[in-house]
Amino acid sequence: MSDEHKIIQQVYRAKENIQEADWLIGTYMPFIKAETAKYLKRPPIEGHDDELSIAMIAFHEAINGYSRARGAFLKYASMLIRSRLIDYSRKERRHSHVISLDAPVGEEDTVFGEILADEKDFHEEAASRDATRAEIEELTQQMKVFDVSLSDVADNCPKQQRTLAACRRALQYASENTELLEELLRTKRLPIGRLSAGSGVERKTLERHRKYMIALMLIYTNGFEIIRGHLKQVLKGVAIR
Amino acid sequence: MSYMVMECHPGYVILLDEAGRFFKAANLQYEVGQTVYDPILMKDKAKEQRHPAVKWICSGTAAIAACFLLFFGFSYYRDYIQPYSSIYLTINPEVQMNLNRQGTVVELVGTNDDGKRLLDGYDGKGKDKITVADELIDRAIEMGFLSEGGQISFSIDSPDDVLFQEYGVELRTKVAEYLDGRITITLEIFDYQNSQAGNEQDTSAASSAQSTQPNADASNTTDYDDTDYGSDNNNVSSNPKAPSGNATSRIEASANNSTTDYHDGDTDYAPQDEEDTNYEEDDDDDDEQNDDD
Repeated sequence: MSDEHKIIQQVYRAKENIQEADWLIGTYMPFIKAETAKYLKRPPIEGHDDELSIAMIAFHEAINGYSRARGAFLKYASMLIRSRLIDYSRKERRHSHVISLDAPVGEEDTVFGEILADEKDFHEEAASRDATRAEIEELTQQMKVFDVSLSDVADNCPKQQRTLAACRRALQYASENTELLEELLRTKRLPIGRLSAGSGVERKTLERHRKYMIALMLIYTNGFEIIRGHLKQVLKGVAIR
Repeated sequence: MSYMVMECHPGYVILLDEAGRFFKAANLQYEVGQTVYDPILMKDKAKEQRHPAVKWICSGTAAIAACFLLFFGFSYYRDYIQPYSSIYLTINPEVQMNLNRQGTVVELVGTNDDGKRLLDGYDGKGKDKITVADELIDRAIEMGFLSEGGQISFSIDSPDDVLFQEYGVELRTKVAEYLDGRITITLEIFDYQNSQAGNEQDTSAASSAQSTQPNADASNTTDYDDTDYGSDNNNVSSNPKAPSGNATSRIEASANNSTTDYHDGDTDYAPQDEEDTNYEEDDDDDDEQNDDD
């Protein structure tokens, strides 16, 4: 009984704190593996079976979605893991007609992937990935100054299309008025008043999505060209009222 | 849509899509800086569950409301939308009026070409049967289908005799009242089912006999001073309920020609027509007829 209460307390702490959530997932890894094994009917191999990754994110969803009214946490998590694994297997079944790169070709020991022409330059790709990683690390460091993490931004990201469009309008205004980006870096505060007045976006909307706006405005300061290059659709067709 | 892997955690990764949205997703052995195309995104938080009692009350209320809706919906359909009886109005144009249980017209169908012409541009849906009958008669007069001395037949197709009598009396009295002083016509009332079942040849005789049913009350109030027999026969209804005047019911008209067997056996004014109504069988009419003689 006291164990059950302990888990519930840990879950409620994990809802608020991402480190606590990571710790809880690590602590309950045997449980997650056991649930995956029940579904796979064999022990999952870490780093190889996608099902284990699905089970882990389902456990994370269970932490976020749990409330005391739902009963015991582990039962709830077990149910959620199973549902997500079933969803995943159904999704994969739709791609069952696709030929695997590991499929054998001919009588020799060659596989399908080996006979395909590979146009990718792995060295260039690895270099590009390193450069991207360096930009992301720099961004993460700058965000720390604002006491914002990428997990916070993911939680704070607008879900509705209308809100997302409003945030894009504010970002468009900031990118056209670079003094706002400079003010952000200098004062370490989001200039909500000027953004709202200039872009016509409600102040309340900007305050509600402050962390998301900080992350995007930081990306649009100098030094994040690769990430900006990835954001092809952000400022496409955005008009300020 | 491509996604950039921004951060890796043991249980999930943070992805950034091309539209600038950040997501949590399953970590399928991703690395930071990698671009991925078909990630498994974390679902949004489930909504807070309601208390079981609240859920039970809500679902119970919804079920009761659904039952009421079903019951009243069915009753409304049965009473107001579903056709229950029909009246065939025949002048030369023939029109079928489908009525609901309230006697309101739910559908009008022209059963011959003239009937279709008569209904062209007319909407009687939702109106009372008498109103529709009156309006159609007016249209028939305007369009030249009905003129002085013409004839109108109402053939009533009802599931029971009580309704047939009710509609018959109502049609006869109200339509006659409506046309009173405007035009002289003959009104006939048939039972559609009986007229369809047999006797196509002798329609008029059979229908006269049947149409006495809705007229049963009316025949009790015969005006004895105004006889239709002999040279003074003005072919005008002597029934006060079917107003005396120009509109004349076939019921009275056929009574003039009928063979009448009186109890005293003295008089038979129309010995030729042996097939006509035998009034001895109709108890209601006997006394008046005897007195009349």
